[in-house]
Amino acid sequence: MTSSATSSMTTMVPATTGVEFGTSTAQGGTVFDTGYQRYTGERQGRSRPRRAIYKDGVRTALGLGRGGRAKILPWFFISILSAIGLVMAIVAGAADRLGGPGTADSINLPTHSDYYGIASVVLFVFAAVVGPELLCPDRRNGVINLYLVRPLTGTDYIVPRWLAFFSVILAAAWAPQLILFLGLSAGDMEPLEYLQAHWLDVPRFLLAGAVMAAYATTIALLTASFTTRRAYASVFLVGLFLVTTPFTMGVSQEIGGTAGAWVSMFSLSNIPLHVNDIIFGEPSEITSEAPARALGWVTLLWWYVAWTVVPAGILWFRYRRMTP
Amino acid sequence: MSAATAPVIRVDGVSRWFGSVVAVSEVSFDVSPGITGLLGPNGAGKTTLLRMMTGLAATSSGTVTVFGEPVRDNPALYRRLGVMSEHETVYGFMKGRDFVTEMARLRGVRDIEAAVDRAIARVDLAHAQHRPMDTYSRGMRQRMRLAATLVHEPEVLILDEPLNGADPAQRVHFTRLLQQLAAEGRTIVLSSHILEEVEQVADTVLLVVNGKLAASGGFRAIRAALNERPYHVRVMCDAPRRLAGAVLGLESVDAVHVDPDGAIVVLSRNVLALQIELPRLAQAAGISLRRVEPLDDSLESVFGYLVEQ
Amino acid sequence: MGAVYRLTLRQLTGKWRLIIMTVLAAMPVAIAFITLRSDSTPSVAEFETTVLSAMLAGSIAPLVVLAIAAAAFANEIEDRTLANLTLSPIPRWQIAVPKLLATITIAAPFIVASAFATSYIAFLGDITATVAVTVSALVGVALYSAAFVWLGLVSTQAIGIGLLYIVLWEGFFSGFVSGVRLLSIRHYAIAVMHGLDPRRFAGGDHLGLVAALVVCSLLFAAFLLSSVRRLRRMDVP
Repeated sequence: MTSSATSSMTTMVPATTGVEFGTSTAQGGTVFDTGYQRYTGERQGRSRPRRAIYKDGVRTALGLGRGGRAKILPWFFISILSAIGLVMAIVAGAADRLGGPGTADSINLPTHSDYYGIASVVLFVFAAVVGPELLCPDRRNGVINLYLVRPLTGTDYIVPRWLAFFSVILAAAWAPQLILFLGLSAGDMEPLEYLQAHWLDVPRFLLAGAVMAAYATTIALLTASFTTRRAYASVFLVGLFLVTTPFTMGVSQEIGGTAGAWVSMFSLSNIPLHVNDIIFGEPSEITSEAPARALGWVTLLWWYVAWTVVPAGILWFRYRRMTP
Repeated sequence: MSAATAPVIRVDGVSRWFGSVVAVSEVSFDVSPGITGLLGPNGAGKTTLLRMMTGLAATSSGTVTVFGEPVRDNPALYRRLGVMSEHETVYGFMKGRDFVTEMARLRGVRDIEAAVDRAIARVDLAHAQHRPMDTYSRGMRQRMRLAATLVHEPEVLILDEPLNGADPAQRVHFTRLLQQLAAEGRTIVLSSHILEEVEQVADTVLLVVNGKLAASGGFRAIRAALNERPYHVRVMCDAPRRLAGAVLGLESVDAVHVDPDGAIVVLSRNVLALQIELPRLAQAAGISLRRVEPLDDSLESVFGYLVEQ
Repeated sequence: MGAVYRLTLRQLTGKWRLIIMTVLAAMPVAIAFITLRSDSTPSVAEFETTVLSAMLAGSIAPLVVLAIAAAAFANEIEDRTLANLTLSPIPRWQIAVPKLLATITIAAPFIVASAFATSYIAFLGDITATVAVTVSALVGVALYSAAFVWLGLVSTQAIGIGLLYIVLWEGFFSGFVSGVRLLSIRHYAIAVMHGLDPRRFAGGDHLGLVAALVVCSLLFAAFLLSSVRRLRRMDVP
């Protein structure tokens, strides 16, 4: 007869938790069905995680679902970009009203083709500050491994991320132009006539916007793929866009000639702007003085393609071979 | 530990809220030399409470004093206080010994080399001290951080989840180290989820649930204080149903469960009386008792009761 | 203090960082060199506006300082290693000051050397002009460091805000709205330059030398004190 006082330490066995302990025989073990519930729903293919990564990329870029602080910077940039478009529209409308119809055209106010030249700085800083958010934190915190252990390849990760940021920048580039277009047509004395005369502007600025967006997205994400700290990627990008322009312009103006023109081609912020000129068929204010124009539109176009496709290829290459 | 001695750490009416979320609510307790365990479910406010005790975070209301002085905005106090947070706070590029040396320098240690040697020996990492810390395993980094926390021989140690990532051997070593440090007269507060270790090592336990202090003291005393909960005692005998029927007649018994495996569980609020009456009853009924054991004589069960509430 | 200083120096240096800073610092020097070799010599005002004001003071200096200064505290907060410093029995100013000094120690040599070489070459060895540009570069670095170290301590979005300040505030608006110049670090640094060599850098409405130096000192002290205050009152992660 054994009894043990309450103060003795015996093994803890929960009496009424309902856990059945199987018995094991000397030879082998026993399989328990501990109630693990298998997923019996529909299993979708790889397109589902791709779409999820895309959606997550868009939400990250815009700060959605991440509290107030994360929204400040991206929406601030979008507001500034839109404000620029709005101001341009208002000024044009005011000019027409004050000086009579056609004044806006005659005093050469900035229009759609000039918008990207003016707003490019803001757009590039936007890409520099927000772009790294999509790639750097995942690598820094090791979350990328969680993605890669799913039935996802590195390509499945980077392509939707690229598309996500491209979509955001595209929206940021298009919205102000649409505001400008609506503002210009509404502000015009004869809105319908304006629409008829200028409807070609719409596909033009849409295409130009895509050109800017593709370039900014690629350069920003490629830089972000080289470091895990967003801060360094952002500063490097801004430095790249901000410093190469005066430097190459200064040097090319001194050297002059074809050599000078080629040097000025390395003004990274001007590369998509030249394509912008090609689309609109006329130089914008920023690029009209650029020595690079001497090289002809074919060269400028191929230069743009090289500076977008090659970095995109490097970006893809860096990510496609990633394993968890 | 006499009542007349002033407590080392006094937490007085401390609350902390973040916007509309109350993380810690009106918590008051004293901590004296020895080992105090801070327990609670995730999100109970343990880390916030510890950070306020170390001066790393401000209180929204209430005060925290260590050795009678406020802990916030009082850097001189850190000479006597050693803190280890739950996050990895090491500089990966540094060698282990260099990290401990830098911390020793920052804490104003006089004889640095000797102090560093001592601290590293205490955590048993002398063999790895010249390697960069990003080559360490997680447990090793944890131990090196502990060495850095100990290097200036603080009288008070506040450790947040120090057993994170420690393997069983390291846990045993760590427990022994803590007991040694407590025996030297230090005051140690550690928070943990691992109830077994805290049970073995802590003299006093503070249970925090939902930002409030749910209980404090030795865990058996806490258990005894939970009057409304009857104790569960498991009895194995050769005639369980007959014994169950007989036991229901005892004054000290509230209820009886019969388990399918033949044991019965007796719920009683007066275990002392049950201890005397049960064997007598069994003998009178001619039943032989094979095993009588308490089922909730553990920190985990106390924890469970309090968290459920 | 020495321990914090040395620790911060170790954290802020790194091979790639140093390479990039060297490249950036070399660019204005290269332009000055090329400008000199060519036939058409731009006027001082032109050179000042494009190279000194826009490029060196307007983008290179603040960007380099931003990258380093934000790292001084912001990286520590992000990595949660700041507690290692704040849990030491040293007054908070003995944490802020060495951090700031370490930032200046790393950023200044590149910027100041670049300013010195650029102006020496461009102004054909004129000592007064060279000293003016170099000293104003140092003043600029010190001010930007104080401002961005404080920003890194105060905000998790320090880099974004810093970049917006450099690009939009100093770059864009101060060109249009003259009132903005009073809130622009670059403006004060340039004012010092004008004050030190009024002969060469005449023109433009800048503050007098004494006034500019006083304002710079006040701003520097204000940012440093704000950093100390923040260290005392913040929740350290």
